[in-house]
Amino acid sequence: MTSIDVRELRKTYGSVRAVDGVTCTVEPGRVTGFLGPNGAGKSSTMRIALGLDRPTAGRVTIGGRPYRAATRPLRLVGALLDAGAASGARTAQDHLRCLAYSNDLPLGRVAAVLAETGLETVARRRVGTFSLGMRQRLGVAAALLGDPPVLMLDEPTNGLDPEGIIWIRDLMRQLAAEGRTVLVSSHLMSETARTADHLIVLGRGRLLADTSMAAFIAEHSSSRVWLRTTEPERLRDLLTAAGLAGSPNGDGRWQVDGASAAQIGALAAAQGLPLLELTDDQASLEEAYLKLTASATEYASAPAAAKGT
Amino acid sequence: MTVTSVLRSEWAKVHTVHAPLISLACVLLTTVGISALACATYSPDDAADDFDPVFYSFFGLSFGQLAALCFGVLVVTGEYKGGALSISLAAVPRRGLLYGCKLAVIGGLGLTVGLVTGFASFLGGQALLGDRGVGLGEEGALRAALGCGLYLGLIAVLAAGVATLLRGPVAALGLLIPVLTFVQPVLGATSAVYDVTRFLPDAAGQSILHATPEQGLGPWTGLAVLALWTAALAVAGWSALERRDA
Repeated sequence: MTSIDVRELRKTYGSVRAVDGVTCTVEPGRVTGFLGPNGAGKSSTMRIALGLDRPTAGRVTIGGRPYRAATRPLRLVGALLDAGAASGARTAQDHLRCLAYSNDLPLGRVAAVLAETGLETVARRRVGTFSLGMRQRLGVAAALLGDPPVLMLDEPTNGLDPEGIIWIRDLMRQLAAEGRTVLVSSHLMSETARTADHLIVLGRGRLLADTSMAAFIAEHSSSRVWLRTTEPERLRDLLTAAGLAGSPNGDGRWQVDGASAAQIGALAAAQGLPLLELTDDQASLEEAYLKLTASATEYASAPAAAKGT
Repeated sequence: MTVTSVLRSEWAKVHTVHAPLISLACVLLTTVGISALACATYSPDDAADDFDPVFYSFFGLSFGQLAALCFGVLVVTGEYKGGALSISLAAVPRRGLLYGCKLAVIGGLGLTVGLVTGFASFLGGQALLGDRGVGLGEEGALRAALGCGLYLGLIAVLAAGVATLLRGPVAALGLLIPVLTFVQPVLGATSAVYDVTRFLPDAAGQSILHATPEQGLGPWTGLAVLALWTAALAVAGWSALERRDA
């Protein structure tokens, strides 16, 4: 299978370290979410993988070889980098044909991907007249043109309407289910949480996490329980005795940090304390992500300040 | 990914957009039209002794070559607009191959349209010159008509090289148009400066349009000087493209 291997990758633009020693592997058969704040190095990594930017050090290989060595690159990797990139003066169909010719792809693929992305009716319209969402679909069509085993999509949901977002989500899941390698960058956490199986998180050009979605959330969020009771005074005593701290939030609900519902439930049952509600707080990807990147920013800024940069 | 497939793709990129085709049409119409106008209004009374009817029928080339410059620049800069180059380079990561095929398409189209322009300009002009006109059999006439095609093809490639180097149409045309249209006619008036300006691409290349070039470089030497300029700027564009992040 075709994986993307990033090894000791480094890229500096002037004095800015866009990518700073990243090593990771993007595996086939699953959707890998590529997260990080703006300027974290996601796009740079993708551009280096495609041979568009030259790395300062390190390398990226796809299926064990550099992208530039591919004989028919569009059959290896489908990439969506920038929705506005297709020349606006050409029709959607002509744009895809120009790409198909260069890689000896059958012209039947052009019609196929136009149908797959719902652009059949506008195939003969100039790209310049397209909305951002339509351009995004055209970018996806171009990525699918060579039926490649690897897909790299940079912010594919940009400009898409809700229907389009659901479409691209299903498409990515389907492509991964077919055994393809799917790397998708996004800054929409809820969207990534619904799509990705695996996460690679960058911050300031460094690798902060390379882990499964479930493990990432479990690791980078604190456990918390919400509950309601008819006897708040007894609850407070009970929690204090157990070494936990609970606080009422005003509407009769209590929040207990660092505890699980199972733990509190057993405790309350043993003491005969009536509970009206008991819920584990589901930590979101967003929460986990912000916690991780916030600490990484603190961590990263200290050495930089020490060097006086 | 063969040369043939990339050539086909580059050809498709040119003919699926209007602007380059319009500039090519302008090469033909402007050159032939202005040459015809000059020849039709030519008055034998103010004929100088050294009147060169062959060169006179390419009077419009100085104007038509502006369109050839635009053609070369537009084909290249169309790809630098809005990051379209990323898409092209992702499809053809071997940059030399992409660039070479692009220049080949530009040069081929420039040459083809240039040849049509050359013969139309010459034959039309000579017909309008009446009894001062000459035929294709005249010394240097056939050479000039062919040379017009070669000149326009080389100029288009030269413009493409400069556009690749500078990446934007404004910068490229802002440099090319003044240098290739004004420097030699304006500064070349004094003979000391002329010794230098006759080696400029336009002055050198246009030597081939004269029946008997009495000053300047010889016809083929002049064209060879233009070809050297073109080669140097094409290589400069290629090396910039290879070196830069897209």
